[in-house]
Parts: sequence; C-alpha cells; structure tokens
Amino acid sequence: MSLSVITMNRIVIIQAFLFLSFTFGMVSPAFAGEPQDQLRQTTDKVLAILSDPVLKSQNKVKERRELILKVVDERFDWEEMARRSLARHWVQRTPEEKQEFTHLFKELLERVYMDKVEGYSWNKISYEGELIDGDYAAVKVKVFTAKDQTIQLEYRARKKGNHWLVYDFIVEGVGLVNNYRTQFNEIILKSSYQELIKRLKTKSTQN
Amino acid sequence: MRRSIVECLLCSLLILILSGPAFGGPAVFGGFPPDPAVCYQPPDPPLILAQSSRSSLKEEEREFEEQADTMPDPLEPINRFFFNFNDKLYFWAYKPVASGYKIVVPEDVRLGVKNFFSNLTAPVRLVNCLLQANFKGAGNETIRLLLNSTLGMAGFLDPAKKELGIEKREEDFGQTLGVWGMGPIFYVEWPFLGASSLRDAVGFTGDILLDPKTYLIKSLPVGIAIRTYDQVNDTSFRIGEYEDFKRNAIDPYLAKREAYHQYRKHKIKKR
Repeated sequence: MSLSVITMNRIVIIQAFLFLSFTFGMVSPAFAGEPQDQLRQTTDKVLAILSDPVLKSQNKVKERRELILKVVDERFDWEEMARRSLARHWVQRTPEEKQEFTHLFKELLERVYMDKVEGYSWNKISYEGELIDGDYAAVKVKVFTAKDQTIQLEYRARKKGNHWLVYDFIVEGVGLVNNYRTQFNEIILKSSYQELIKRLKTKSTQN
Repeated sequence: MRRSIVECLLCSLLILILSGPAFGGPAVFGGFPPDPAVCYQPPDPPLILAQSSRSSLKEEEREFEEQADTMPDPLEPINRFFFNFNDKLYFWAYKPVASGYKIVVPEDVRLGVKNFFSNLTAPVRLVNCLLQANFKGAGNETIRLLLNSTLGMAGFLDPAKKELGIEKREEDFGQTLGVWGMGPIFYVEWPFLGASSLRDAVGFTGDILLDPKTYLIKSLPVGIAIRTYDQVNDTSFRIGEYEDFKRNAIDPYLAKREAYHQYRKHKIKKR
C-alpha cells in the first residue's frame, strides 16, 4: 500500500519536473522577436492593400498588384531564392546568367505569390511562434481562409544587416524553393541549363 | 528486528524496480525519442514551434546546401504515363462532375458528407496512433469517434472539433511504417489513386483492412462507387488547387513527386 503511494509520488514529482522543464524550455521562443515583427509589418501592409475598397475594382487589378509586389520586394530575398533553387549549378553560371535567372525566377515566384494572395480570402492570420538560430529564423503562420480551412505556413528568413529577409516558404512540410530545386536539377541533368531557361521563359509568356 | 531489516531491503529494492520505468519513462516506447508532444500538448499556440524535433535550423540549412533529399524513381516512365492519365482524369472527369455537384449541393451538406466519410475511417487513425505509441492521438480519435457518431449524427457533424477543439489526427499505416524507420523506397504513381510510394502502397493495403467500409460493403461495384463519390465530394472543396499547382510548376510531374515526398516526411516527423 505505502509502496505504491511512494512510487506514485515519485512519478508525480518527476512528471512535475518534466512539465516545468518543458514549459520553461518553450517559453523563450514564444516572445515575438525581430523576424516575426518584421514579417508581420509586411503582411499587414499587404492585407491593407487587399482590403482597400478603392483598389478592389476590376480596372485597378494591375495597380494593386504593383503595390503589393513593391511591399513584398523589401521583405523577400529574390537572389537568395534563385541561388538556392539552382544550388550547385549556381556557381557554374556567369554573373550575366545569374542575373537573368534571378529575374526569371523572381517573375515566377511573384506569380505564385499573387495566385495565393488573390485566389484565397485571407480572413485571419495568426502567428504561431518563431525559432531563431543565429542568422536563421523560422516564423510559423496559420492562415484561416474559407469555412473550416486553415493553411499552415512557415516562412524561413535570414538576417542581412538589420533586416530579416525571406528565402523560402514551407506549406505543410513542402518547401517552395526546395521543390523548384529538384525540378531544376533534374531538367539540367537530363537536358541542359539552356533548356531550363527556355522553359522558364515560355512559362512567363504563358501567364 | 532482523525481519524488519530484510523487509526494508526488499522494500527499497522493489521501489527501485518499480520506479525504474518512471525514470526511463519514454524508453518504454522502444527506440522512439522522448517526444514531449506525445505526452503533453500545450494549449498556447506560440509554443508549438519550439517542440518540433528540428535539431537546429542552421544545421538543416547546411544539409540543404550539400544535397537534396529526393525520392528514388526507377519507374519514372510508367509513373509519368499514369501521371498524365490522372491529369486527364481530373480535367475530364473529376473536375466537371465535382463542379456540377458543387453547384447543386450546398456547402453544409458537402461538409457533412466529408465528415461522415472521415468518421468512418476513425478506426484506421485510431489503430495507427496506437501503433506509433501516440496514446494522446489514440485517445483523441476514440473521443472523436464516440462523440461524432452519436451527438454528431452518425458523423455528419463534428462536435468534437467544434465544441471541444479536438482535431483529427491524420495517421495511416504508411506513416506508421515511416515512424518504425522504413523509408519510402521509391515513388509510385497509381492510376486513379495518384501519388504514393512503395511503402505507402503497403500502408494503403493495411488501411483498407482497417476500414469498416471493406467489411460493411460486400459488393465490389458498390464499394468502388462509394469511394468514387467520396473522392468527388472531396474534390468539390479543392477545385482550383491542382490548376494553381500545375500552372506554377516547370515540370508538374517532378513537382508532384517531390511535394509528395516532403509532405509525407513532414507528417511522419510531426506524428
């Protein structure tokens, strides 16, 4: 009888300790740090543009897009995304090629971004925490769209100067730049870099 | 006197033996790492990120720089053939049918149907939670099944989520095999069923054996019809997603394969 009580007590104490260590261990990253603050500023600006009634009319679509892309431009590191999408093929390119590729890839990503921003009604965005590891950070965001639907999104950012710049988006474990990287790598290996550029160019004229 | 000393010794020995599992707590689960998420999930959302099992962001990025982890694909020509088949199937069959269905049937009803089918497969999720030693998930699925089958009118409503905030745990046997340490082996694109891997195909067979529909519906055509209807109803919520995905990909087949790979890895890790 007393034996089981002792064991129980011990388990309870151990659990209490575990519990405490978990909570303390987890509290520190919960404070909104720099990366989350900066990202929130950008997102709030985009949402403000989206909800502006003046910009909602059909003939303002182009103007609204330009405004959004201008805001986003300051927060996204296009060159870093381009570099990561080409990975080991990046170093083999000349500066001119790098510039051309970055431009094409930026166009593609802007379109992906606009699809997501215009295509869904962003009812609410909640910030689900962030992780900072030196110059790298991950910010988790939950987007509430239509009825009963949420999208889990994770931004990856890197610090450059005073700014945290986004270099990848991860939706349900699937990284956007990472996904392009596999596509680009296999296209380059099976045909050539020139073929990839050709396909990127046709893609940008298609849309 | 001597007796009490012996008793005392025996007692402390017993305490030591009995308290063993308490100290080594998570070791009871075998080779699984002691994941705090299994035992305790904090209600406060900002804490979620901190408990992810990621060792270090920097480390992950370094791995990324070195080499990409892609899914082996020895069957690529066959897979690409069925990818095109499924693509046509979507645009020529599922999409038009689901679009018409969406116009005729109100959203609440479609959501009810979705919940109903999902509730039917609760045993699959429950068993897989148990197989992954995810007892919290198993408990959640049990509560969901009992509550939604009764108060939720045979599963059409989801009071477990609405009222109690208990979310569904999307677990399947493919993930269980992944948790047990099995890799995807290679990519398989099935006609009608879509993206899979050899591991997940084995898992799918296991899940069919756990699915009550398998035993309730004796006739094969009826079974196929019901599963197709489930698929159409599901598609009615997701029209436009595949189009977006395809539009943004340079090689949609590769994009799908890798997205599937990363998504499954994520789900297995999340547990």
